[in-house]
Amino acid sequence: MPDLTPAIPEIFLLTMACVVLVVDLFLKQEQRHLTFWLTQLTLVGLFLLTWNGMQTTTVTTFGGSFIRDSLADLLKLFTYVVTAAVLFYSRDYLKDRNLFKGEYPVLVLFSLLGMMVMISAGSFLTLYMGLELLSLSLYALVAFNRDSSEASEAAIKYFVLGAIASGMLLYGMSILYGLTGTLDLASVAERLAAAPEHGRVSILFGMVFILVGLAFKLGAVPFHMWMPDVYQGAPTSVTAFLGTAPKLAGFAMLIRLLVEGMDSQQASWGQIMMLLGVLSLAIGNIVAIAQTNIKRMLAYSTISHVGFIVLGVMIGSNEGYSSALFYTVIYALMSLGTFGILIVLSQKGFEAEHLDDMKGLNESHTWLAFLMLILMASMIGIPGTAGFIAKFWVLQALVESGHVALAVYAVLMSVIGAFYYLRIIKLMYVDKPEREASGRQAMDTGVVLSVNSLSMIALGLFPGILTATCLAVFAGG
Amino acid sequence: MTFVQFLFYFFAAIQVLAALRVVTVKNPVHAALFLVLTFVSAACMWILLEAEFLGLLLVLVYVGAVMVLFLFVVMMLDVNIAEMREGFASYMPVALVVAIIMVVEMGMVLTQRIFNVRPPVEKVADVSNTEAIGAVMYTDYVYPFEIAAVILLVAIIAAISLTLRRRPATKYQTPIEQIKVRRNDRVRLVSMKAEKKENGS
Amino acid sequence: MIPLTHFLVLGAILFSISIAGIFLNRKNVIVLLMCIELMLLAVNTNFIAFSHYLGDISGQVFVFFILTVAAAEAAIGLAILVVVFRNRRTINVQDLDEMKG
Repeated sequence: MPDLTPAIPEIFLLTMACVVLVVDLFLKQEQRHLTFWLTQLTLVGLFLLTWNGMQTTTVTTFGGSFIRDSLADLLKLFTYVVTAAVLFYSRDYLKDRNLFKGEYPVLVLFSLLGMMVMISAGSFLTLYMGLELLSLSLYALVAFNRDSSEASEAAIKYFVLGAIASGMLLYGMSILYGLTGTLDLASVAERLAAAPEHGRVSILFGMVFILVGLAFKLGAVPFHMWMPDVYQGAPTSVTAFLGTAPKLAGFAMLIRLLVEGMDSQQASWGQIMMLLGVLSLAIGNIVAIAQTNIKRMLAYSTISHVGFIVLGVMIGSNEGYSSALFYTVIYALMSLGTFGILIVLSQKGFEAEHLDDMKGLNESHTWLAFLMLILMASMIGIPGTAGFIAKFWVLQALVESGHVALAVYAVLMSVIGAFYYLRIIKLMYVDKPEREASGRQAMDTGVVLSVNSLSMIALGLFPGILTATCLAVFAGG
Repeated sequence: MTFVQFLFYFFAAIQVLAALRVVTVKNPVHAALFLVLTFVSAACMWILLEAEFLGLLLVLVYVGAVMVLFLFVVMMLDVNIAEMREGFASYMPVALVVAIIMVVEMGMVLTQRIFNVRPPVEKVADVSNTEAIGAVMYTDYVYPFEIAAVILLVAIIAAISLTLRRRPATKYQTPIEQIKVRRNDRVRLVSMKAEKKENGS
Repeated sequence: MIPLTHFLVLGAILFSISIAGIFLNRKNVIVLLMCIELMLLAVNTNFIAFSHYLGDISGQVFVFFILTVAAAEAAIGLAILVVVFRNRRTINVQDLDEMKG
């Protein structure tokens, strides 16, 4: 009998997801808010369970296929927070579009379970299973508005490219399994380190497939083509979810596969990651300028942020991993807030997704415009915001490891990228509104949105606790 | 050439040729059937590799369920074949070049010494393949097994929520109403005077 | 006895055919889904061959799970395909160009 204590949050989540599924069957449409609150209660319960079970040591169970360490705990806690906030933001949006159904929170909970499995994965097998649980739920969520032809088109594109990426990842895993004879990541790392010289090409061969799969899932250039279409086509509430929480799980996947599974091969994967990072920064920032659709623009902005994260991991030092972890968490929070504002601005029969929809936001919604201002400042990386600390830390790690040219390049690309964030600020504060805006949101949604956005300032001024935690995560291991 | 070698090359050839037909054939129904052929010969090859359980599973699950699902969808959606073949010929050279380069490159790596040093290990214990998989499935791999169960549940929920729709025009039976029906609801007794039989005609 | 590399090359050929198929059938989503199944078959061939030659059962267990997941994936993929067809009366991917970029 394996030790089940480390996996209590996962077990709780699975139980509650099934409870929500069954309870929802007996509810009438007017009572559906019970499903919503039950889901939120589940997330609170998960938070408490994970928080109480936190340990500084690494615990493994299920024969090493489940790892619970401080990295897993930190990422899981933020995943819960992000998921809860997305559900708050999406409630009214879904109600307005007749999408407020029981399957929605259930699929969100199952994809959360998939992310947790990925974050805690200790073997190729569990990593793959978690990834597929996450992806399959997301495919269904993207197509959730089944009367929308755009959403179903986005879903089929996402599905086909996601399945190809999984195939690539699996092929790479099969080669590494053949070379090492094990699926367990810790043993893979040991045997790869002891691999004979004439096996290097084969290891690289397997690794390239894994990196292609990873780049697809993360959305790094040149494997990013699904992102703009999916971001644009999916309902905004789903975009908000798939653009935030899965990035945290994706970061965990990077660390588990590359750092914990193939540490000895850092020299080779570092080079490939560098290429991915450099291309992502360039394409993400430059193409975003040409976009008129905010969701598309945010997709390209995500690509450029992924570039930063990839560069942080590429360094291959604990400093680099910690900075990339911090960047991922901050990125998830900023883009969560940005999508939150887009969701709140979207009304029945109207989607706030064009740049022009932001015109004169200051006049109609002064507070929302102010929150958006903070978020955009953080995306640019203006000092005083969390985005600045995140960018600064990655750059510092790059310089310290001797990649000065890369750091200069990253700064240059960020300056180019600042343009399209500033354009939104200009539209909000300088231009006159084109249409009668009538944004309304529930009290609780407004509070969550404000806390979310203001946390960018709080974390920018007092980043100490989070940076220390990020450092501690990798210093121990 | 031994019998086993002959079988290997035979099934390998069928797999490759059928796979080629899957991607080039005009009609999606034919493609699905060629995919069935690929899977069946792959199953035979897996049995050759002493993975009998998975060989059977491939036939049962894949050929039996998944491919039938494919055929079902192909026939349900009335797709325009000619429209989908547009540009097929123009992609051909690119696809051919990519495929050949990939095969050559992958072949060069995969035929390296490191993949050929270990001879097959003879089975020590006298257990069947199914028994060996069953022994680890619910012990060492119970965690992925549970996740697999969740994945199947998600597939059910997703497929139903995406495709099940109640059309307003459709008429449904409501068994409760049907059971509750009393004689009085349906049968009306009308008292009429008996009519006299007329003697005409 | 058949050397391991023969199985691996077979896997590589199947994998390349599936990639070529994805190039060729960019417009036809149903055949695209079949190409993905072919790709998974290539992966499974690799795993089973390695599992046999290494005398290690875990490769076969992985294949078991890939088959399970692929069945679920096919169900969801075809469900999405049905939704696309209902909305647009076509499954031609290149007609699917409402979005630009």
